[in-house]
Amino acid sequence: MNNLLSHARRARGLLLPALLVAAWEVASHQGASQAYAFVPLSVIGQGLTELIRNGDLLISTLASLQRTCIGLLIGVIAGLLVGAAMALSAIAERLLAPLYHMLRQVPILGLIPLIALWFGSQEGAKLLIVSLAAFYPMTLNTFEGFTHIDRRYREVARVLEWNTWQVFTQVLLPGALRSIANGILHALAFAWVSSVGSELFLSTGSGLGNLMMNAEAGARMEIVVIGVVCIGLMGYAMNQLFSRLTRHLLRWRDI
Amino acid sequence: MISTASAVIGSRVSVGHRMLALTWLISPLLLLATWALVAASGHYSAQLLIPPADVWHTFKDLLHSGELLEGAAFSLRRLASGFVLGASGGLLFGAALALSKTVEVYCAPMFHVLRQVPSIALIPMFILVFGVEETFKVLLVTKAVFFPVALATSEGIKAIPRSHFEVARLYRLPRYSLLLDVVFPAAAPPILTGLRVGLTRAWMVLVAAELLAADSGLGQMIEMGRQMMRIDVVMVGVITIGLIGFVLDSSLRLLERRLFRWKAIKE
Repeated sequence: MNNLLSHARRARGLLLPALLVAAWEVASHQGASQAYAFVPLSVIGQGLTELIRNGDLLISTLASLQRTCIGLLIGVIAGLLVGAAMALSAIAERLLAPLYHMLRQVPILGLIPLIALWFGSQEGAKLLIVSLAAFYPMTLNTFEGFTHIDRRYREVARVLEWNTWQVFTQVLLPGALRSIANGILHALAFAWVSSVGSELFLSTGSGLGNLMMNAEAGARMEIVVIGVVCIGLMGYAMNQLFSRLTRHLLRWRDI
Repeated sequence: MISTASAVIGSRVSVGHRMLALTWLISPLLLLATWALVAASGHYSAQLLIPPADVWHTFKDLLHSGELLEGAAFSLRRLASGFVLGASGGLLFGAALALSKTVEVYCAPMFHVLRQVPSIALIPMFILVFGVEETFKVLLVTKAVFFPVALATSEGIKAIPRSHFEVARLYRLPRYSLLLDVVFPAAAPPILTGLRVGLTRAWMVLVAAELLAADSGLGQMIEMGRQMMRIDVVMVGVITIGLIGFVLDSSLRLLERRLFRWKAIKE
């Protein structure tokens, strides 16, 4: 009974999307001017099979994904180093924090014209944008993770007369781990969005953003729609994957 | 005697504090000096690296000619209209989502799916549907504001203790009074945070949209500068964007702190 009820409830949640899709379909048959923006579902289906068959969708997704991963790796490592340095050394904080907070104010996509002038519009420029996008949240979360460690743990370490390395690996790192994982989760989201976003601006190479921009230039709405759905799905899937993974890996941290 | 001694120590401490505060300037000044030196060395062409003094001159030129202010005014007008639309929509929808079981059952699944779609990814779609005119930019800002505000509102309202509602029922408050006098004040802190997040995201998306397709605004000024290889214009634009974003964000932060001083906000 309960099961049935929850099924019915879930079905009601599908009502609104179904209505919207139906409205879309109706709008697409209202003449040429409408069909330009609202393409019929059958055309979207055809577009999808076409993109899958000629491999465009796979190649584009992989290109965006690859850049996200490399940029994420660079951004996370740099963010870990800078964040930890700022948290653990007063001098490093004095020197790095002002620069970090100044640079952080500019929306990352606003930097693209400058980066394009300096580094061209090749893969390297895009990678720099993605790395920066991952670097900001990573630094902030690492810094907070290391600074918000309970004083008592440090005091225990002092009583036990541990050396710096022991304090770092036994006290600081485990204490900051949750915040660091949170930082990677944020960095992942930013890296994915900026990877696709950078492709909208820098049109060389391949990727989901390029696929969409080309489709926009050719007024092929069905490919744009597929691109949007694909970007949303991939972002959601990566977020779920990573948060499950951290919950599994950090389950010993739950108090 | 003691009081003068403590005053002397006090002043020494405050002088020390002020000196310490000045150390925050070391690295920005170093960066500026390195930039000026490298630019003056002539290793790089003026199209790639321009001395900071030239950027300052361009800034003053653009300010005096009114180009900078005009661009900023266009961008901010778009931001404001999109923000008002998105924030009011988000407030209403978020409240409905939290207060009505029916709305939740029918709308929540779609809301949570749609909120996964990044605003940036919608730019090509919006251009196709709405063209490259104002509508597309304002609606993009609306979208960027709507989702964080709706989410923060609905979660903020859901976190209100049940007792508030019970008292309201006891007094037989009419529905609008329940909303205005109980629900929104009680959920104000998370809602304001949602507004701030929405505003920051909206600013970023708007700049991106203007870079891609616009005939006015700061983003368009930067894009023109890039096409004409005027790196000074690009840099002035980038710095202005950063400054405006910073001012918007910190004024809302200040408002949060002012309004909820009684609440001891955890930073």
